Amino acid sequence: MREIRLRRPFVSGFLLVVILLKYLRMFRFALKNLCSRLVRTLLALCGLTVAIAGMVGLFSVAEGIEASVSATFAKVPGLAVMQPGAPIPLFSRLPSDWGDEIGRLTGVHVVHREIWARANIIEGKPCFNPPRFLFGSDLKEAENLRYSVYREGLKEGRILTAADRGTLHTVVSRAIADQFKKKVGDVLHVDGLELEIIGIYQCNSLFLDVAIILDIELVRRVGRIGPESVCNFYVEPDLNVDRARLAERIREKFIGRSREIRQANADQQAANPVQALLSAMGASAPVNGTPAKGSQADDDSASRESAVEVRDSDDWAREFKHFSEDLDIFLFLMTGIGVSIAFVGIVNTMLMSVTERFIEFGVLKANGWSNGDVLRLISFESGFLGLGGGVVGCALGWLATHAINAHWPTRIHLYAGPRLLAWSVCFSIVLGVLGGLYPAIRASRMMPMDAIRRG
Amino acid sequence: MIDVDNVTKTYRRGPAEVRALRGLSCQIPPGVLTFIVGPSGSGKSSLLYLLGALDQPTSGEVTILGQRLTQLTGRQRDVFRRDQVGFVFQNFNLLANLTAVENVLVPYFPQGVPPARRTEAIELLKRVGLADRLDHRPSQLSGGEQQRVAIARALLKRPVLVLADEPTGELDSESGAQIYGYLRQLRDEQGSTVVIVTHDRTHIQPADNVLSLRDGKLAT
Repeated sequence: MREIRLRRPFVSGFLLVVILLKYLRMFRFALKNLCSRLVRTLLALCGLTVAIAGMVGLFSVAEGIEASVSATFAKVPGLAVMQPGAPIPLFSRLPSDWGDEIGRLTGVHVVHREIWARANIIEGKPCFNPPRFLFGSDLKEAENLRYSVYREGLKEGRILTAADRGTLHTVVSRAIADQFKKKVGDVLHVDGLELEIIGIYQCNSLFLDVAIILDIELVRRVGRIGPESVCNFYVEPDLNVDRARLAERIREKFIGRSREIRQANADQQAANPVQALLSAMGASAPVNGTPAKGSQADDDSASRESAVEVRDSDDWAREFKHFSEDLDIFLFLMTGIGVSIAFVGIVNTMLMSVTERFIEFGVLKANGWSNGDVLRLISFESGFLGLGGGVVGCALGWLATHAINAHWPTRIHLYAGPRLLAWSVCFSIVLGVLGGLYPAIRASRMMPMDAIRRG
Repeated sequence: MIDVDNVTKTYRRGPAEVRALRGLSCQIPPGVLTFIVGPSGSGKSSLLYLLGALDQPTSGEVTILGQRLTQLTGRQRDVFRRDQVGFVFQNFNLLANLTAVENVLVPYFPQGVPPARRTEAIELLKRVGLADRLDHRPSQLSGGEQQRVAIARALLKRPVLVLADEPTGELDSESGAQIYGYLRQLRDEQGSTVVIVTHDRTHIQPADNVLSLRDGKLAT
């Protein structure tokens, strides 16, 4: 059995070589035919190259997001406990004292309270893109974490400790420090605060390198979040604890307690008009679809569901993958335009080429070439066009993504991986062959004498 | 033996219907040089292309070596042409992108060309006096040389039947005589049946078979 398994790739490789050798003359003939009409071939190649390069460029955005998300969540081993339906912790609110209840559950090592707020103005400039966030960390709890992504990513200075509570000390990412030309010891002005940079971290992730880390109470003040609320809890499990089971235990603990969140949010909105506005616009997450003012039916429904959503790295990755799939559909549509133009270009090139060569096909058929042989020759030619356009397009697209990444290192990282490149080349070949199919069928169906007469 | 039985061939040229062959019947003995002669429009080329399964008769039957050509499938006709028929066209019809050797080998490209066949092709080109033109393209060859490449292509198959349509029509008399010499040599060495369409009767010898056509029929 093992011998058969070992032989299979060898046999496949051998068969491939035999087929390549068998069609070697046909390949050379097809290439010569393409080279004999060099300008037209190059023009068709250019059309396809641009389309494929565009496709690689566009899909590298989705690949970049996916790669970045995977890399980011691989670095976050714990669980995030959030308000159900909140897309990110920024829009989540939970009662702060629930952290104590989670901490008492079996298998929980540390519960870390977190508050997130948008940094609106940094160094006197509005800060929209790339977004920057104030990350309020309970510094005492953070000290107990076995693993902290920001602590591990520290490059200069030191991380915040419990001794920094009540201070304006901050740790910022290398991207933020570079953007505002700051170093350890400098002051960073954020939303009216004069923060002193005591450390710089670098996680090499677009999603992590956005945080300005501060004492939780400071962010609470800036974000007008009352002492009874937090955005989320980061839960670090004990060693060798099954994360999925722990997540389930946390969910079960809070079944039927949505009313407490609504109450916390109502208090919050009374204190914070911005939060109220966000809630009215639907940005703040409803609790399992229940409206803010609960009815009896709502309460019944809420009583059966958990008031928290527990996400691990896989959940985040899945959520982003879902987003990425939507993006893919959009990219397919965008790419479709370029590809359609390239496709028409190939059909046109091959049709002209075939029309010019009716005599040639007549002579070939007079010499015993079958319809299939003629079809194969033209398909090889259009396939070579596809291969050429695919390879050059991929090379250009790949170079462009690297150039863009080098020029805008802090923006979204484009990634044209081997899978995307291989897929693009294959797609281009298929496109080429399909583009040549109609002209090939036309040529192959002619009787030899018709071909010679028409030529 | 080639048997042509009551064959008609009609085709359209624009709105007009052209009756190229009108109930033609004849027999061509094997291993003989047969000339088809007649004025323009008499149906010479149409008959030749029917013999080579390049075209289909409108009615009637062509039988070659016991094979009824109208009953062959498309694939069988392809194989028949590839293995049993050699064509020599008036305007050579070599493929411009291929060298002389490749033009000789082109019928075998789809099946793959073993080294022995390539050696054979080179030998044939040497025999027709093109030893120093093996890697030349048609545009680099004279008319006579191109026709000799076409003859080498026909010879490589060791065909039962060689069909030549005005093979010397584009050549000077010296080159023309040379081409007829090669065709006779082919008949003598391989025992092939050679059918030549021509206007020019100067190369017909007494032992040759002559079919004279007029208005799509044998001239009486």
